[in-house]
Amino acid sequence: MRARTTARAAAIEAVDAGGGGHAARLVAVAAALVGVALSAYLTAEHYSHGTTFACPESSAINCLKVTTSRWSVIAGIPVAVLGLAYFVVMTGLLLSRTGNRWIALLRIAAAGVGVAMALYLVSIELFEVNAVCLWCTGVHLVTLVLFGAVLWSDSSRAISGRPAR
Amino acid sequence: MSKDKSSGAGKNRPAAPASAQQRLAAQRAAAARERIAAAQRRRRLIVTGAAIAGVIAVVAVLIVVKVVTGAGNPKSGPAATAASSTVLGRVTSVPSATFNAVGVGTATAEPIAIKSAPALTDAGKPEILYVGAEYCPYCAAERWAMAAALSRFGTLSNVGQTTSSASDVFPSTPTLSFHGATYTSKYLVFVGKETESNQVVNGHYQTLDTLTPAQQTLFSTYDAPPYVSASAKGTIPFVDIGGKYLINGASYTPQVLQGKTQQQVADALADPSSPIAQAIDGTANLITAAFCTLTGAQPADVCTSAGVTAAAAKIGAGA
Repeated sequence: MRARTTARAAAIEAVDAGGGGHAARLVAVAAALVGVALSAYLTAEHYSHGTTFACPESSAINCLKVTTSRWSVIAGIPVAVLGLAYFVVMTGLLLSRTGNRWIALLRIAAAGVGVAMALYLVSIELFEVNAVCLWCTGVHLVTLVLFGAVLWSDSSRAISGRPAR
Repeated sequence: MSKDKSSGAGKNRPAAPASAQQRLAAQRAAAARERIAAAQRRRRLIVTGAAIAGVIAVVAVLIVVKVVTGAGNPKSGPAATAASSTVLGRVTSVPSATFNAVGVGTATAEPIAIKSAPALTDAGKPEILYVGAEYCPYCAAERWAMAAALSRFGTLSNVGQTTSSASDVFPSTPTLSFHGATYTSKYLVFVGKETESNQVVNGHYQTLDTLTPAQQTLFSTYDAPPYVSASAKGTIPFVDIGGKYLINGASYTPQVLQGKTQQQVADALADPSSPIAQAIDGTANLITAAFCTLTGAQPADVCTSAGVTAAAAKIGAGA
């Protein structure tokens, strides 16, 4: 039983090392950092009322229309600020101990929450604001990449329950 | 001897099979590890792939629903009504002291001088042509200042009050409407055209006023490069000030009006410390300074006032 567990752990280690686990972790960190940058820009634009927004404008694309809508604030906090806080926390989680199962589970849960939030905001853009914000779409894509990379790098560890190193 | 030999051979003989067994065991262990690793990789691929595919499928469904049902198209706001007498009274009688205290206030744009354009006149008087739409939030902002400035040269009547689109940027900005408005002045002629209302019919805002061919030509000519930037081409509000100045877009951010009623905006205009007065009265002074270049600096008490003089310097008109 012990030998089987050891073999399993070794196999997971091999998958992590050879199956793109480390590369996925790097992709996740890079995505989180890009998310920090995009959210910081959107936060700055929120507080400057979009007077310097670099965004094309058409009937379907209108960043300012999205970022100044009444849905751009949740519980008094601008969505851009929430996004910035989220990506900062995700960056911290990704740089924390990689061998801990609970941290792995937390990363997956947080990445899932990010994607759920992105889907909610996309539905708001489509059905309430009636416009799409390109910068926000960039954040949504980064969130999806982050979700995929976290799942790839952490799902084995989270499911197998390998103890913390 | 033979026993010794035999026993010696018996000692050596198991050594070879033991090594083979170890190799076999090692191979089996490696194979087992590889199987587990392959299973892990498969599971990871399935988990990640399914999750990503699920997210993409949800987005695709949202887009299909949007396209098929047209949900989220522009929504009608409250229809325009006649402006209340208290609202119109406050807008058209901002105290001179307030205008002077504000100066250019927090206006972020000023009328743009038009070079070598023919004068726009009607019956011998300089004409002010305003083109906007009731749904437009930037027009909503500019109308307050335009009404305040016009009222320093004449009497504005039959003005409406409404809000900009509830589903556009700066939603439901409180404002006036120039649709059907009349203006009497011994100095200026004012023509206000609201091309569309804030009422949606068949997915589009309802048409209100139609530009005459001459007005359309002015709009096409001067609301385009080189008079305005390429990105601002065709932007409303557009104001042609006697062929001498033009306004393209809002002169201050409509954000300052968010969440206010028309009455609250009108009431704030007399308080020079109010952010609303800083924006609207400041813009009104800039527009007034442009008007004064058409009227020969008449009426003198308006055109030589401190607020207008400060604004004139800003638009390069001098005092």
